[in-house]
Amino acid sequence: MIHFVLLISRQGKVRLTKWYSPYSQKERTKVIRELSGMILTRAPKLCNFVEWRGYKVVYKRYASLYFCMCIDQDDNELEVLEIIHHFVEILDRYFGSVCELDLIFNFHKLPRAQAYYILDEILIAGELQESSKKTVARLIATQDSLVEAAKEQASSISNMIAQATK
Amino acid sequence: MGSQGGFGQSKEFLDLIKSIGESRSKAEEDRIVLREVETLKVRLNDPNTPKYKLKEYIIRLLYVEMLGHDASFGYIHAVKMTHDENLLLKRTGYLAVTLFLNEDHDLIILIVNTIQKDLKSDNFLVVCAALNAVCRLINEETIPAVLPQVVDLLGHQKEAVRKKAVMALHRFSQKAPGSVSHLVSNFRKKLCDNDPGVMGAALCPLFDLINADVDKYKDLAVSFVNILKQVAERRLPKSYDYHQMPAPFIQIKLLKILSLLGTGDKKASEQMYTIVGDIMRKCDSTSNIGNAILYESICCVSSLHPNPKLLEAAADAIAKFLKSDSHNLKYLGIDALTRLIKINPEIAEQHQLAVIDCLEDPDDTLKRKTFDLLYKMTSSSNVEVIVDRMIEYMISINDSHYKTEIASRCVELAEQFAPNNQWFIQTMNKVFEHAADLVNAKVAHNLMKLIAEGFGEDDDTADSQLRSSAVESYLRIMGEPKLPSAFLQVICWVLGEYGIADGKYSASYIIGKLCDVAEAHPDDDTVKAYAVTGIMKIYSFEIASGNPVDLLPECQSLIEEMLASHSTDLQQRAYELQSIFTLDARAVKKIMPMDSTCDDIEIDKNLSFLDGYVQQAIENGAQPYIPESERLGISSISDFRSHDVHEPSTHALRFEAYELPKPSLPHNIPPVLASSTELVPVEPSYVIDIPHPTSAPSASDTGSSELKLRLDGVQKKWGRPTYSSPAPSSSSTDLVKVQNEAPRPDSASSSKPKTRDSSYDSRKQQTEIPPEKQRLAASLFGGSSKSEGRQPPSQKNSKTQNHTSDKSRSSKASAPDTAVKPSQPPPDLLDLGEPSIASSVPSVDPFKQFEGLFDFTQETTPASTGGVDGASKDSDFTSLFADMSLSAQSNIDPNPESNGLGGSKVEPTSPQLNKGPNLKEALEKDALVRQVGVTPSGQNPNLFKDLLG
Repeated sequence: MIHFVLLISRQGKVRLTKWYSPYSQKERTKVIRELSGMILTRAPKLCNFVEWRGYKVVYKRYASLYFCMCIDQDDNELEVLEIIHHFVEILDRYFGSVCELDLIFNFHKLPRAQAYYILDEILIAGELQESSKKTVARLIATQDSLVEAAKEQASSISNMIAQATK
Repeated sequence: MGSQGGFGQSKEFLDLIKSIGESRSKAEEDRIVLREVETLKVRLNDPNTPKYKLKEYIIRLLYVEMLGHDASFGYIHAVKMTHDENLLLKRTGYLAVTLFLNEDHDLIILIVNTIQKDLKSDNFLVVCAALNAVCRLINEETIPAVLPQVVDLLGHQKEAVRKKAVMALHRFSQKAPGSVSHLVSNFRKKLCDNDPGVMGAALCPLFDLINADVDKYKDLAVSFVNILKQVAERRLPKSYDYHQMPAPFIQIKLLKILSLLGTGDKKASEQMYTIVGDIMRKCDSTSNIGNAILYESICCVSSLHPNPKLLEAAADAIAKFLKSDSHNLKYLGIDALTRLIKINPEIAEQHQLAVIDCLEDPDDTLKRKTFDLLYKMTSSSNVEVIVDRMIEYMISINDSHYKTEIASRCVELAEQFAPNNQWFIQTMNKVFEHAADLVNAKVAHNLMKLIAEGFGEDDDTADSQLRSSAVESYLRIMGEPKLPSAFLQVICWVLGEYGIADGKYSASYIIGKLCDVAEAHPDDDTVKAYAVTGIMKIYSFEIASGNPVDLLPECQSLIEEMLASHSTDLQQRAYELQSIFTLDARAVKKIMPMDSTCDDIEIDKNLSFLDGYVQQAIENGAQPYIPESERLGISSISDFRSHDVHEPSTHALRFEAYELPKPSLPHNIPPVLASSTELVPVEPSYVIDIPHPTSAPSASDTGSSELKLRLDGVQKKWGRPTYSSPAPSSSSTDLVKVQNEAPRPDSASSSKPKTRDSSYDSRKQQTEIPPEKQRLAASLFGGSSKSEGRQPPSQKNSKTQNHTSDKSRSSKASAPDTAVKPSQPPPDLLDLGEPSIASSVPSVDPFKQFEGLFDFTQETTPASTGGVDGASKDSDFTSLFADMSLSAQSNIDPNPESNGLGGSKVEPTSPQLNKGPNLKEALEKDALVRQVGVTPSGQNPNLFKDLLG
């Protein structure tokens, strides 16, 4: 199973974290520090896997962003590498160009929360739950439309409140 | 596409992100975040903050926490947000709690109610959000609160909900297997769900359940084979394709399940051969995902009942992986090789050069994987090279986790396969010197035991030689600074016991050394205790043998210091030492008999020598003794009525649960062994549930309808013997080898120059045509894939490479003479089942080949470009082999040292058996040794945790 997902920029800045196994805040910080030290320093042509504390961490670099997933000893590394790619393809389809991923996660353009919602449709409880890109895209679109409606409702209410309190 | 830009984010938020993005240092970032924390604290607690603003603050809080700061002050607001009616806020609330909280957090209890309500919602998105939270947050205690609703959702009309419900149940079964045990049939039913996504999700819990108890699900094998067949035939919707492969993630999961079901089950395996073979054929080996499936198929093949055709296909795939330029594929190739050599040891031979390349690779991950492989294929013939390599690597790394692992592996291999005790002690010294505090304390005791018991034979000379060599090496080592405590304990014990045994060192010299140790480690009470006991032993030996004894001044001061010690243990030892001096020789001999560690001390547990005294006391009117348990039984019989009579009851409170009154199985028996001997329940009814039963293979149903005792998986789990694959027997390989060698043009003249040629050819080939190298390696090491077709071009190369030839000649010269004329060729590094050739055959001397091989590997370092340099390095390796062949001849040359080789407690197999020509037998031995050993297999990731306590 996947124990956590980490997105780290090349400078070691954290862009997204999702923990499927319990880690305390202190442990999380330590894990991130340890792993970014290990992964960011690796030369480009080496394996996309590192052994770490009896687990394996599979990572892949897209532009200036590292996607890392921590898995068990007996999991299939190459499969996880493709799960990462699957995630990236869906993000790419949703957000547009993959080259700007780092920007996306840097909040300049879009809420990062969206990336979490997408991840939640792909992985659940540390397992891949949906391998069809279409299904994921459809689900996210449904959510968006409903959320959009809710947002309009909310803003109209807030407008009303704003007007009422004027 | 990204139409939500902005999404209610304020400029403030964007500025925050921007400033953090632009911060130059961690300190600056921290300052910004801390300021943000203050702002959020104020705003979140302000009751007038509008709800839609709250949402943004919660997301900002997520950001803060992600950057490693404490955001716990805002958790409660996230929890409150899940209660909101507005979907937008609710969703944000659920996202926040799943990211903030762990399942053991106190606030969970406040969410359970909301989750219960939301699971019943009409809006499936609300249900989805709630199920996401269920997967993350529900713990063992709260499972019952939501379980009924989640089960209901299995029948929800939306497939997204069904899928998440299955995954939630999967999570429950991970956390508390008992909670969903009655729901197993639901998982089975979900295999037939109309939506492939739901079916794929159902594979996750089924995989876990099957992993826990294979026998219950044997009937499903046919269904899984069918599903896999349909997936491979592209019957699933196109949207599940990934890089032109049909639903690869589902395929991989299914292959994993099949390998569980087929393990040690011939009948089930036979049902799977066709489909696994098909998949391997269809895999697109140019894409990553194709290789992922291929790799999973190899894993599956390696755990199924062996099938020659599939094994061959797997071997081909591994060869492709290893030849690849991609490190990822090499890594998988090594891993797959590790799995396959369990069944077919010969396969490793073909890839020796590739394996050695990986071992030398700068990539640490690859290197470690290769060590895993070497660890699995260690036998008594190659243990020295492998363990030396491991230790070398162990010294070079800092990662304490892996250091621990590799140190325990070294110890394990050394204990199992040590060719002689001398080597064992040297190896242990090295391991202890660098990682003593990382290995199990038991290892230290084993080492002491070995030195004490020696070879366990009558040959005392060998024993004392071993001991004096141990003493000598310890006297040399102990001067070094910073030795680990556990190692010092061993040193002190050995010096105390055997320091003066051979008369080489005077008592006062050893005592002085021991005093030094105690002095140098004032804070380590255990080492001091060992040291002072060592001193006591030596003084007693001296007194007992009637030698004049004078108390050394440093020893005197040590005793005085210890008498005043806070540790009562040290005090007692010091007092004991003091009192030794007041006794006469006879008494001392009784207290501290010389060399008596191995003698059994008889303890009269019944204290029968007191019988007379007790009798007398009772006669004088004393109360008879009543055992504690009986006393309790009388006094509080009402309280303990339900208790087992023989259960030891104590006065203390019991915190642990009362165990079930069933006889526990012995721990060392693997669970599979136990379960597979049980009767298999038959559940043929599920066959009906298969979506497309028409396509079932013909042989499918016959197996599940008979009730019988399954004994056929029992041995296979660990040992090779029962599993011997239909690989060529040793004699036939022999034949192949002879045939292959005979037609060589110059085999009659002399084998030596030719082998030298071919050995550096490999080097030459290496640099020029990497794929060629591997085939050449196979031919070099006498694998079955030998062919003469490749020989001529490589000989052409040889003429252009005179200096290399010189080099290998010089390296040959540096090898000890004893090794040059092997009547049986000594085993090579990757020796796994290659039978040795009869001496009459004009054999290729594997020695030279090895020199060449390692020569090449040395060449990669710039320092060894000079011929002499390389030669001196070679001698390290060759001398190892020299050792080996020496010991292999031990039956001819009965020198006392090698005579005792066989009797060691640690290595129960005799060297003749292991090193003899019959390697199959040796392999079986090794398998047996592993079976008997502490850790039967490296499969278990907990192995080292277990080892290390």
